[in-house]
Amino acid sequence: MISRRDLLKLSSFAALASPVPGLVRGLGAPDYKIDIAPTTLDLTPRHRLKTTAYNGHAPGPLLRLKENQPVTIEVANHTDRPEVVHWHGLLNASNVDGAMEEGTPPILTNSTALYTFTPRPSGFRWYHTHTMAMNDLTRAQYSGQHGFLMVEPRDDPARYDQEFFLALHDWAGYLLASDDGAMNPGYAVATINGKAMGFGEPLRVKQGQRILLHILNSSPTEVHWIALAGHSFRVVALDGNPVPTPRSVPMLRLAPAERVCAVVEMINPGVWVLGEVRKHVQALGMAVVVEYENNSGPAQWQQPSELIWNYEQFAASQPADSLSESPIVVPLVLESKFRGHGAMEAWTINGNSYPNARVAPLIQGRRYRLQFINNSLDDHPLHLHRHSFELRSLGTPLAAAPEAPRKDIRGIIKDVLLVDSQTRAEVEFTADNPGATLFHCHQQNHMDLGFMMLLDYA
Amino acid sequence: MLLALACLPLLAHAQANYEIQVYGAETVAPQTLMVELHSNFTVEGQQSIVDGVYPTRHQEHETVELTEGLNDWSEVGFYIFTSEQDGHGVQWVGDHIRPRVRVPDSWGWPVGVSLSTEIGFQRSAFSTDTWTWEIRPIIDKSIGRWYFAVNPALERTLHGPDVNQGLGFAPSAKISYDFTRVVSGGIEWYADYGAIGNISPVHKQQQQLFLVTDLNVSPVWEINIGVGVGATSATDHLIVKAILGRRFDWGRHSLID
Repeated sequence: MISRRDLLKLSSFAALASPVPGLVRGLGAPDYKIDIAPTTLDLTPRHRLKTTAYNGHAPGPLLRLKENQPVTIEVANHTDRPEVVHWHGLLNASNVDGAMEEGTPPILTNSTALYTFTPRPSGFRWYHTHTMAMNDLTRAQYSGQHGFLMVEPRDDPARYDQEFFLALHDWAGYLLASDDGAMNPGYAVATINGKAMGFGEPLRVKQGQRILLHILNSSPTEVHWIALAGHSFRVVALDGNPVPTPRSVPMLRLAPAERVCAVVEMINPGVWVLGEVRKHVQALGMAVVVEYENNSGPAQWQQPSELIWNYEQFAASQPADSLSESPIVVPLVLESKFRGHGAMEAWTINGNSYPNARVAPLIQGRRYRLQFINNSLDDHPLHLHRHSFELRSLGTPLAAAPEAPRKDIRGIIKDVLLVDSQTRAEVEFTADNPGATLFHCHQQNHMDLGFMMLLDYA
Repeated sequence: MLLALACLPLLAHAQANYEIQVYGAETVAPQTLMVELHSNFTVEGQQSIVDGVYPTRHQEHETVELTEGLNDWSEVGFYIFTSEQDGHGVQWVGDHIRPRVRVPDSWGWPVGVSLSTEIGFQRSAFSTDTWTWEIRPIIDKSIGRWYFAVNPALERTLHGPDVNQGLGFAPSAKISYDFTRVVSGGIEWYADYGAIGNISPVHKQQQQLFLVTDLNVSPVWEINIGVGVGATSATDHLIVKAILGRRFDWGRHSLID
């Protein structure tokens, strides 16, 4: 008799050791190895944190992959519970995308799995655990299981002298009562690349350099605002996808799972702080020193007086040609369910929580417009797996009539979109990657409590 | 919670309910002033003057409580007690000051823990013990829709007939349930067992149970309404209470702070 445990083992092995249609690697030597294991991280001199991480570091190893060149990544799970690694932003098949809900097998305790896929599209992606934490704010995305993944195009068009990969993360979570009457996570430490301000190595630059920053917000739940004192950012890509209109901005906003690629002209010699704009978050450690060559002394910070960001500024200035067929509109009403002042809220999409939240199956080849109607008091970083989407409208107040004119946004391709509370937003995507596809809020506590939906192809 | 200005069982004739509240562990946020009005009406209570102390029956007590948050883990509260009664008019009763600290959320303790201490004066017409001191540990916990709090308070008379009676034990507790996001209901229990080491006989103890509701209409408002019954002869037998609180942010709070 085969137990459920045996079945899990078999399914894990079969899915990852067997060739998957369309994938060309089998059990050959892997291109990369990742060990998921308990680790102790020194975030600050006062904060030594036991967590789980990839290869003993948070962020884990930078994976540089070539677009359309198959790759095999060996992942060993040395933890006491099943794990899975999601390759965020890639157009992978469901069984290697890294979400058990889509059918990717779990990697059982003390087991090894091989993920073989052909990375596409090019750009700044990332990888992370895709498990549940529930009330344990040390697991899943609350842990250190995240890393950078760079899919390089065959021809690299970027012009820069030096590049840095930076991960924003919040640690040592605890639950606290919030104004919406429910519990929400708060954090004791905030870091860039796993180190609090002054505890990691500075970013060393030279005058006149163009540096390219690849910034990832790997926080389980928090939106972050980042500025570099004395400098501005020229945003060239969002979520790894080039923007139609690169612009210089004084600060960046990144919702959980979002990425920003920005060029900085190093024209202001000195020692500067790159860090969270909000004082209380920077005080938790989220900052890093940027040090020009032959400069020393205390790092300088220039406190911005307001938070400034909008997606639309990077949109195409000219409307794109309209598509011949109208998209299929899928309204998604996002709401919370009160579970008591001593609990985190549960979440529904069109009145149902995962796995009961459903919409009509996708028709391959058709264009879809997801209409997010955020009835809740929270902003939500919404993520669609295995597809990229184009931002079409944003920030429409819920009170506005659905047919009211709205600003048409074109050309911004993303896989995560922050939808503000009490607003409507729309994105479009083409159903061109058959297989089970997960849609969810990337706030760990929201996806844990029902804010997920599986899209199936017809 | 300051149920009585004096240690009631030590001075059973000094029943005087001015602030009837079980404290939660949370403190007022920094740069925020919490203004509360405690309105308590004794429907059935002591009916005669004892040792010069007014009877409690049909006394209407209005207590203004001002609490200022100092930082993320401390606050200080100030009370102005008043009483209104036929034949006595509106009278100032006394004032107390109450600093409080708590375990910060970031420590990640499984329960909320706080410690307050309160010292103050009340006129002899309302309490023979005119100066009192209290130390109050506070432990609370929210689990889903349930809320639990316990305040095992210790009280001492600093000036008055009971100055030599040592510490009194006056615990209180609360259990409530969130019926909706706005409406919670529950039970509050207040007791005073007398001096530690010399527990009062039951009939001299204070034992009160309140049926209460909390209305969470807004993060800035606090509303608590209750009806309480006393189970011993030393306790006021029927009291109606209400707390109306409003938070005022006086600091310059901006998104970048």
